[in-house]
Amino acid sequence: MRRAALAVLLPALLLAQEEEQPAARAKPAAPKTAREEAPIDLTGYWMSVITQDWRWRMVTPKKGDFPGIPLNTEGRKIANAWDPAADEASGEQCKGYGAPGIMRLPARLNVTWQDDNTLRMDIDAGTQTRLFHFHGSKTASGEATWQGDSSAQWELVRTKVPPHAPGPVRGGSLKVVTTHLRPGYLRKNGVPYGAGTVLTEYLDVFTEPNGGQSLLITTIIEDPQYLSQSILLNTNFKKLPDASGWNPGPCSAR
Amino acid sequence: MNRHCIGLALWIAFAAAPGLAQVDLSGEWASRYTWDFLERLPGPELGDYLGLPINNAARVKANSWEASTQTIPERQCIPHGADYLFSRAGFPMRIWAEEDPATQKIVAYHIRSYAWSVERTIWMDGRPHPSPHSRHTWQGFSTGVWTGNSLTVTTTHLKWNYLRRNGVPRSDEATLTEHWVRHGDYLTLLSYIDDPVYLTEPLMRTSGYVLDPQQQLEPFPCEPVEEVVRPEGLVPHHLPGTNTDIQEFPKKYGIAPEAAMGGAATIYPAGAKIGESSKRAGDSASNGLETLPVQKNVYVLAGEGGDITLQIGKDGVLVVDTGRVEMSAAALAAIRKFTGKPIHYIINTRFDPDHSGGNEAFGKAGSTITGGDVADDISDLEKGAAILAHQRVLERMSSPEAKQPFASLPTDTYRGKQKDLYFNDEPVVLLHQPAAITDGDSFVFFRGSDAISTGDIFVTTAYPAINLERGGSIQGEIDALKRLIELTVPAALQEGGTLVIPGHGRICDEGDVVEYRDMVTIIRDRIQDMRRRGMTLEQVKAARPTEDYDPRYGDGSKFIEAVYRSLGGNQ
Repeated sequence: MRRAALAVLLPALLLAQEEEQPAARAKPAAPKTAREEAPIDLTGYWMSVITQDWRWRMVTPKKGDFPGIPLNTEGRKIANAWDPAADEASGEQCKGYGAPGIMRLPARLNVTWQDDNTLRMDIDAGTQTRLFHFHGSKTASGEATWQGDSSAQWELVRTKVPPHAPGPVRGGSLKVVTTHLRPGYLRKNGVPYGAGTVLTEYLDVFTEPNGGQSLLITTIIEDPQYLSQSILLNTNFKKLPDASGWNPGPCSAR
Repeated sequence: MNRHCIGLALWIAFAAAPGLAQVDLSGEWASRYTWDFLERLPGPELGDYLGLPINNAARVKANSWEASTQTIPERQCIPHGADYLFSRAGFPMRIWAEEDPATQKIVAYHIRSYAWSVERTIWMDGRPHPSPHSRHTWQGFSTGVWTGNSLTVTTTHLKWNYLRRNGVPRSDEATLTEHWVRHGDYLTLLSYIDDPVYLTEPLMRTSGYVLDPQQQLEPFPCEPVEEVVRPEGLVPHHLPGTNTDIQEFPKKYGIAPEAAMGGAATIYPAGAKIGESSKRAGDSASNGLETLPVQKNVYVLAGEGGDITLQIGKDGVLVVDTGRVEMSAAALAAIRKFTGKPIHYIINTRFDPDHSGGNEAFGKAGSTITGGDVADDISDLEKGAAILAHQRVLERMSSPEAKQPFASLPTDTYRGKQKDLYFNDEPVVLLHQPAAITDGDSFVFFRGSDAISTGDIFVTTAYPAINLERGGSIQGEIDALKRLIELTVPAALQEGGTLVIPGHGRICDEGDVVEYRDMVTIIRDRIQDMRRRGMTLEQVKAARPTEDYDPRYGDGSKFIEAVYRSLGGNQ
């Protein structure tokens, strides 16, 4: 038992000792900002490409049309009671535009750096804004919002050939975890998500065969209140050369 | 120093476990069916083409699709193509890497899907894609490279399949590009299908999987049975304008009927500019001639003009069709690069400049052999290779109008249903097809090599060029294709097994012939129906009964005319 523990600890200790020496001599470099670290460029205008799930994304489906959504009994009850007029009357017409639902709507995105550690995503559908905060630049506080609080981190990919040091970054993704969400709809026809929903997203950029660029968002939605299991979704966008077509509009409950 | 070495060795031992975990795709991957549950499990509804950037030809083909076509025995075991299987249906799957033992580099990724137990290989060793004349398969030929954090895979050589499982077609000219990216226990696939035949711009779609180490894939056997008793030769389909089933979908969900019919304009937010698909590369993908192995003794010399089938063995060379006269020298040179054996037999599948043009040159370059097939004496050895064909071919080639040199004429003909040879240790059987493209067409069946050379009865590049003046007919063409399907026996999942060398185009198998047989039958049925309704030939042409196949096979007007006249219409 002790031998095994030694075998595990010894290499780490020895290597730590080796690494301490140069560190003591050099002045520590300033940490890189999220913008400097970015392995991919997410900035620019993007447009949703709705080749799948068209019936539930491009138009607002009828009440009760939620096959495949793993709603629990409570969730089904709420979805079946969907009343867009009531939402409008109570000023809740943006319930389908919260972070868990908005990325599935037909929309254009404009991604920019708000500052060196905050990536900003403006969405023309419902005129919404999502902010992705790196390095813990914001923590959840105050009232819950449609877009919640999003903490972001780059997932860097390096070649690792032991025992050599990891190679240079050769790609990566953006991971975003969003909480503190104001309860809303996963689907505009009243399919609910609750206040405890955790939205995890991975954003990847790919070059298309014709040279264009695509943005792929892998989404995992966990909602202990209304879902009996997590939902895995993939949503894709195409990069636009400019702002043409950008068309911010108000939320619509219908 | 010693301390450093010990530490290094131990570090290697402990850190060598998944050093590239972020991009290790290996494992058991399970499906998650949520939003798209209906399309992926029960299947899409009829007339639901929502979100597909298809052209009108695809729409026409989908509208004529009849679900019971899947019960035809030759279609029952056809699996989803690589595009639909992994980026749409998304069944549970297993991925594993194959490493070179010496270099530890990954040579290939293998994927086994639960569905049909399909196995797919993604080659990572930099090998090129095969010739355009090589065989296509349901899973195609895939090569991969790592780009950033994703595996980018390019797949060509796909057989006909569907973009959506309700009849929306995807052609065998499509190219599939995929990005596989892993995030922890999640694997996401983004794919682009570029089909110059049926899409106006590449179709982008996605699928997601979750790592499930406890998953076990069960076998998925498939054996065709007679599910439906139907008249011989019947291919289920809807005639144009008669499919009322497709109208139910938009009504049921309150969707505009035109949106349900798909199209690139419907897949973006309002006001978007739409893209475009690649242009077709054209039928003749090769400028030169290339020799490709088919199976066992059989090879094909493909390129410009008709395909030349070669059977090569210890006895020498047997050639089926000799191509155009102007390519004779190049064809002979190609054969000579491949084998020094003498050409002893030439077989003509028909009389046509594309297939018998090189008879004289090939004949002179070869020599006949003594035996039961030599009608004359031993001096025949100086007369060049024997030229075999059906009697009708000789009659047509020797007519004054044909103006064929004497040396190009068949030296040995047959009049019955078949003629048998035994050459290079296998039976070679000429099978007369009495009224297909002409009245003198033959299949050449290499029974030991399990390959059939079809002449122009079956081609992958065009509609059948039925020549009514030379005894061809639409029913004879359909009968010949039916006979060809009877002769071929596929291996697993309706591919491989008996291979088919068409008159023009790439190496095929029964699955390709079935698609062609269905196309010919469906177009015949449409024209027959129009004739019954009293339409003239010009009216039939204007109604475009070949619209859904024209992007694949070219202008259908000559074929329409041949079918119309063959059915008894002369207007």
